[in-house]
Amino acid sequence: MLDNFDKLNLQMRILIATAISLLFFIPYSYFFAPVKEAPLKESTSMERAEQQAAPQTSSSPKEGQVSSVAMAETSPSKDIIATVQGSHFRLEIDSLGRIAQVYLKDAKFLKEQKELPLLAPLSSLRPLEVRFSDATTNKEAFAKSYYSDRDLVEIRNTPETLTLTQELEGFKLTKKLTFYPDGNYDLEVETSGSQKRFFLSPGARPIAESDKFAFNGVVLKESGGTIHTTEDGDAKKDEIFEGARFVASVDRYYTTLFFVKEPQGLRVVISKNAEKNPEPFVEALDHLKLSGYIGAKDFRLLESIYPSLTDVVEYGFITFFAKPLFLLLDWLYKFCGNWGWAIVLLTLVVRIILFPLTYKGMVSMQKLKDIAPKMKEIQEKYKGDPQKLQVHMMELYKKHGANPMGGCLPLLLQMPIFFAIYRVLYNAIELKGADWILWINDLSVMDPYFILPILMGASMFLQQHLTPTTFTDPMQEKVFKFLPLIFTFFFVTFPSGLVLYWFVSNVFSIAQQLFINKTLEAKKRAAAAKPSGLSD
Amino acid sequence: MRTLLIGMIWVYQKVISPLKRPTCRYYPSCSEYALWLFSYSNFWYALLFSLRRILRCNSLFEGGIDYPIISKRITPIFGSPRLIKVWLVPLCPQKDWSAKGKFYLIKSMKVVQC
Repeated sequence: MLDNFDKLNLQMRILIATAISLLFFIPYSYFFAPVKEAPLKESTSMERAEQQAAPQTSSSPKEGQVSSVAMAETSPSKDIIATVQGSHFRLEIDSLGRIAQVYLKDAKFLKEQKELPLLAPLSSLRPLEVRFSDATTNKEAFAKSYYSDRDLVEIRNTPETLTLTQELEGFKLTKKLTFYPDGNYDLEVETSGSQKRFFLSPGARPIAESDKFAFNGVVLKESGGTIHTTEDGDAKKDEIFEGARFVASVDRYYTTLFFVKEPQGLRVVISKNAEKNPEPFVEALDHLKLSGYIGAKDFRLLESIYPSLTDVVEYGFITFFAKPLFLLLDWLYKFCGNWGWAIVLLTLVVRIILFPLTYKGMVSMQKLKDIAPKMKEIQEKYKGDPQKLQVHMMELYKKHGANPMGGCLPLLLQMPIFFAIYRVLYNAIELKGADWILWINDLSVMDPYFILPILMGASMFLQQHLTPTTFTDPMQEKVFKFLPLIFTFFFVTFPSGLVLYWFVSNVFSIAQQLFINKTLEAKKRAAAAKPSGLSD
Repeated sequence: MRTLLIGMIWVYQKVISPLKRPTCRYYPSCSEYALWLFSYSNFWYALLFSLRRILRCNSLFEGGIDYPIISKRITPIFGSPRLIKVWLVPLCPQKDWSAKGKFYLIKSMKVVQC
């Protein structure tokens, strides 16, 4: 093997080196990726004071006044003053009238039998936090405790209301919260006619699943319907949006968000903290009425709360394609009741769509056998000159009315599909913990026993041997033979749902080719039998 | 933009293309076709025709030999050639040399040093 390696040409060696380094870096970055956690350290009072400053924005867009930055010097103890119990979640409200923590109770979310906490435990911006643009009021607001009209709110099937009150110099701040069983709520903030300008935050993003390959940050839907995203570490300056439909802080699977159904929308300010992470606020004067949701980014659930919220599910730049793909997958899921089988069906659908584009190439594959001797002759003649060889191959194909190539378009079309499935598997909470058959119990993570990647490699090998391929470049031929092996390793760390897609796609294409070969052979035999029958 | 695209096609040809089976139904292959067009014609024209080529590269079309066509105004210089990179073969005999003519763009199989 090593002796052979010396004989390989330079390009081939570079390729092998690239493949090996890829094999190393992909698992490496997967296992050793630095997971961004919200800072857990207790910050000094000065730092905290800065953190609790209201965003510096013009107090009114027309007047163009700039409000002074408000500061809070001390922070009161953060006791829990109320608990909201739903059948799917548990929510705690602290003495500053904010949501201190949310726990998801569904079996799917449990981590080591414990309810899943969504928010960073310390010193981050909490949902429902209020900051005043007036510095003295802001300082006072962070010093005084709220009181709640109920200690425990239990939600069965009907919404329940909880009122939080804070007595401030000269006025009273009330937050009237109506919780629904699904984790969404309506909120009314009143400052009893004090004409105070304040900022209300849906909170910093959840930290339950802060994988760095997923989008973490703030997603906002502008008044025109455009989606605006600000990723963690990428917030450069304060940004103001008039008439926003929703503003959501998201991690891979979870979100805390505000939205309004009324057309005038929300006036949103996206500020930044010391780590350049975005901090979203809704700005209001005197009073504010909006709705919110905190929990998993479940597509159907978000849709049932308010259809526009489905845009919170962010798949990166391929979203425009990944979203319809998810809808198709979801439709197939409803049809068969299992995400694994839905992926198999999806593969079938893709194959059927591409069939007319590849069919003729597959048929011509058979004719290749007839022209094989001539092909060999040409290959001998133009050895070492791939360009000339290509020209003469094309001429030969034309002469015999057979072009065995599948074409670039079907290949190119498969790439966005593949990538979109990757993003959907990665970002859709529905596929987290989704099982298939036998050993596959989570399609969104790698196959723990490496069976699917090996099957995938085997199917690829089989496919290669079934479809005769003519190479114009001997180097390419060598690489090609190693491909099933390279791909097997390459796919080891991929979500098993994706490997499943690739594997099933290979199997279908093998089956398709075999079927075409069989029918053509039968036809040929029939054609061969006929003339002899006629001549008698 | 143009250099970037040419660079991307070059990387594709050297790194990605060898990793898949040859699939193109044409000569020159889609990537070669695009590379020639981007090197020797207007950016938008090259983009449009490269896309058209890729869209036609499937079983619904014949395939075969298909050279890119470019329009160019030719100023004749009389003398012996020094280096031949491409051949411009006119689609029809050209009478008026001051007008733009249409040419097949055919890359020389080997760069000929004269």
